[in-house]
Amino acid sequence: MPADPPTPEPSPGRPVLTVDGLHVTVAHGRTEAVRDVSFTVRAGEAVALVGESGSGKTLTCRAVLGLLAPGVAVPAGRISLGDTELTGLDERAWRRIRGSRLGAVFQDPGSYLNPSLTVGRQLAEPLRLRLRLSRAEARRRAVDLFAAVGLHDPEAVHDRYPHELSGGMLQRVLIAIAVSGEPELLVADEATTALDTVVQAEVLELLDRLRAERGLALLLVTHDLAVVAEVSDRLLVCYAGEIVEDGPTAEVVAAPAHPYTEALLRVAPLGARGRRELAVIPGRPPEPGTAGPGCRFAPRCTYATDACTAAPVALDPVPGTHRRSVRCLRAADLALQGAAAPDRTPPRTPDREPDRTEVPA
Amino acid sequence: MSATALRTVAGPRTRRAPVGRLARRAARAPRSVARVLAGTATVFLLSSLLTFALGAVSDANPAAAVLGETATPADIARLDHEFGLDRPLPEQFGSWLAHALGGDLGRSWFTTVPVSDSIAAALPVDLSIAGLALLFAVLLGAAAGIGAAAGNGGRLDRAVTAVCTVLGTLPAFVLAIALITVVAVQLRLLPSGGYVPFGRDPAQWLRFATLPALALSLDAAAGIARQLRTSLVGALRENYATGAVMRGLPPRRVLFGHVLRNAAGPAVTVLGMSVPMLIGGAVVTERIFNLPGIAQLSLRAAEQHDVPVIQGTLLVTVAVVLVANLAVDAGLLALNPAARKARSAGAVRR
Amino acid sequence: MSAVRTIARQPLGRAALAVLALVALLAAAGGRLAPLDPLAQDPAHLLQGPGGAHLLGTDYLGRDVLSRLLAGTGPSVLAALEAVGAAMLLGVLPGLASVRFAPALAWASLRAVDALMTLPFTLFAIAAVGVLGNGLHQAMLALGVLLAPLFFRVTRAAALGLDRAQYVEAAELMGGGRVYVLRAHVWRKVLPTVAVTTAHALATSLLTVASLTFLGIGVQPPAPTWGGMLASDLGFLSQQPWAPALPAALIMLTVGALNLLADTVRDADPADGPALDTPASNHPADTPKEQADARRPAHA
Repeated sequence: MPADPPTPEPSPGRPVLTVDGLHVTVAHGRTEAVRDVSFTVRAGEAVALVGESGSGKTLTCRAVLGLLAPGVAVPAGRISLGDTELTGLDERAWRRIRGSRLGAVFQDPGSYLNPSLTVGRQLAEPLRLRLRLSRAEARRRAVDLFAAVGLHDPEAVHDRYPHELSGGMLQRVLIAIAVSGEPELLVADEATTALDTVVQAEVLELLDRLRAERGLALLLVTHDLAVVAEVSDRLLVCYAGEIVEDGPTAEVVAAPAHPYTEALLRVAPLGARGRRELAVIPGRPPEPGTAGPGCRFAPRCTYATDACTAAPVALDPVPGTHRRSVRCLRAADLALQGAAAPDRTPPRTPDREPDRTEVPA
Repeated sequence: MSATALRTVAGPRTRRAPVGRLARRAARAPRSVARVLAGTATVFLLSSLLTFALGAVSDANPAAAVLGETATPADIARLDHEFGLDRPLPEQFGSWLAHALGGDLGRSWFTTVPVSDSIAAALPVDLSIAGLALLFAVLLGAAAGIGAAAGNGGRLDRAVTAVCTVLGTLPAFVLAIALITVVAVQLRLLPSGGYVPFGRDPAQWLRFATLPALALSLDAAAGIARQLRTSLVGALRENYATGAVMRGLPPRRVLFGHVLRNAAGPAVTVLGMSVPMLIGGAVVTERIFNLPGIAQLSLRAAEQHDVPVIQGTLLVTVAVVLVANLAVDAGLLALNPAARKARSAGAVRR
Repeated sequence: MSAVRTIARQPLGRAALAVLALVALLAAAGGRLAPLDPLAQDPAHLLQGPGGAHLLGTDYLGRDVLSRLLAGTGPSVLAALEAVGAAMLLGVLPGLASVRFAPALAWASLRAVDALMTLPFTLFAIAAVGVLGNGLHQAMLALGVLLAPLFFRVTRAAALGLDRAQYVEAAELMGGGRVYVLRAHVWRKVLPTVAVTTAHALATSLLTVASLTFLGIGVQPPAPTWGGMLASDLGFLSQQPWAPALPAALIMLTVGALNLLADTVRDADPADGPALDTPASNHPADTPKEQADARRPAHA
């Protein structure tokens, strides 16, 4: 469902994931790393969480998955999946959620698979456990899923060990595993980061197709705006643990309201490649817990005034839009530069065949 | 590559026997198997050379051993000739090794009983007790290591760490003495010494073998527990453990089905390294529990300067250790198909 | 001596050093500290419990247990030191040199090391005593030969890492002689590893000495050793079940202190100290790091 900028229709799906006022602390509660993050992901909708490393996007995503490291906690806020409250769930209840209602794929997919078992067996294991499928049935289901995620010769892939597959194939395997339980929500945490650009586009296309076909809610977490600009409906820009801008992807990309979003767009390989003047945003985000009272981006912001650092800045609706908000005092008087409106169809790669297994003659 | 091709066209397969899988993996890695075998053969050759050299550098001779001070030069020459000691050393080594490989380790200078006969009588005692000790070590070590890792940082973890640390500082025979004091002398549950062959009466054998095997096993068990805990705690933090959790698998299944398999490698290595320790400890354990084993044989031979018996026991011990190491290598191969990563990955990726 | 200061800064390291200093004192002056003659028999007071004239009681010949423990420390510790000394001599320098060996020689030396490592300590020492004559020196030489591979391996591994280190190369390019480079750069880096191995080897060696003397190898019967005392206590377990605890405790304490020392040295070595691990630390454009921090599953 390619949204037509600049007049996007509100997504009609029911809310699948609701995050409300989420706070995450690290170092046993001593440092606040995520502050007051709220968003909703609806069925069939792709929401992107974008920000530099340390922006809190990964912690937010881990909180949604219930995979917080020791010493990391959620002191306030609610996360709900459909009508199930996820915060404060015990391990037994989590087990019924993960793999069936909630799937996830990560960066470096190979490391998320057991090196000493075939990938087919790892896909079949939860199926056999949960649905009590026979060995043959589970195998058939696994092979179907491998075919569905675009792996050539799924029969052969089924019996491969992780180290025998390429990065792109492994990510497809991980996606197959993630959707095997027919989840409502799929979380992709930097899922395409380590892949080369062509494979990256293919994996994004696959995620987009699964979203469209299965009505999956997608939460894409990445540091690279270019990755998600083309496949997400909604963009959440994180900075230093806060959401600084929230709005429909096409609108945000075309006309960012926050200087940080503008900076991200400038470093992202979007639209006309020639306009990329800088590869990095100068400066670095504040260490968690060291930010001043005002806007956390102010020290790196070229538009900052004294008022910016004086008092907390609220996430307010962007004037003259609907469904957009921004955490910037000067949102109304700045005319920030966006990128060319992205096309929701991912780039075609006719001259290259997708990942395939060698089929020995 | 050819084995891979077969796997690919084979289509859906039913349950496979682990031995079959091991053989398949071994077949896929003929080069590494050959390398391991060549290394083992070399090590055996070097050890046998060392064992032989030990006898060659000594001034012990059969006449002195048997007749003591009264041996005349003529006696010495006669007995030296009888035992082939007047030949050049390389020739002696060659014939000794050739005979040894054929199962003939020469005759005792004292009793002229074939050394292989004495060893054949004593070895089952050691093998059965060492086998039982290995079983105890694996069971106790695995239980303690897994328990400690599952309750990482908890009371059980700390207790296991403390016990393992104490066990590591104790000579095996102190444990043996402690076990005798408590189990045999105070509680009178098991005999404090003696031996009945397994073949004659398995129940009696178990009664006599349990205490020595337990005393022998605790050191190895501590090593296994410590190693297993460390690698399990590490493996539980690995991404594939997270991946298994994300698939909705219960913790027990994540631990036993996924993490343990990958973390077991170092523990298996420790197990292999503890085989020489088991045999070394067996010397003292045999003395304490009065077992007619190979170490007692060696000890008596050392007192009598009976060089062929000393050499024979040492060589057989080396052989046992090397076979144990090979078994460990095979176990590691079965556990870890990624060992031949580079080869197979190259075949698929192009 | 900065290493000693580093160790002494940690409480556990301090405790280990204190125990070892005490053991060294006992080893050096044990016989003179003994309140009674360790060989004097007192037929009137056989197998007595602690207290009275005999502070720790008497053994089956009425000999003073405390005096025997003190007098037995010296031979046990000296023997262990002898074996480790031999092992260092045989292991460290060849280990360093092996870095520059030709591949064939390096392979052969590694197989020789493997061969030595398959031999059980006690059995090999017994064999050596059997053919070379019954004496602690023969047994310790044999033990030294078997411990040498430990030193060979760790020094070789450490030196191999350094051989490829750029600063060593730089020093050589700047005209530092082979000996100077070895002393100034390699030795200083190899030393902590050697220290850890020495502590472990000493612990192993002490245990083996205890086993050998327990079996009556290398010592003449009346002379006291830790292992020998355990052996004679074994015959009187029903009368004095606690008696083996005393020499065993001394062995445990010494071996434990050595292991603790090895751990302290290893932990103090900055080369492989604990990695800094602060969740969600802000390293710009360092996504894998961030992931690694958040990677631990909550249930673990």
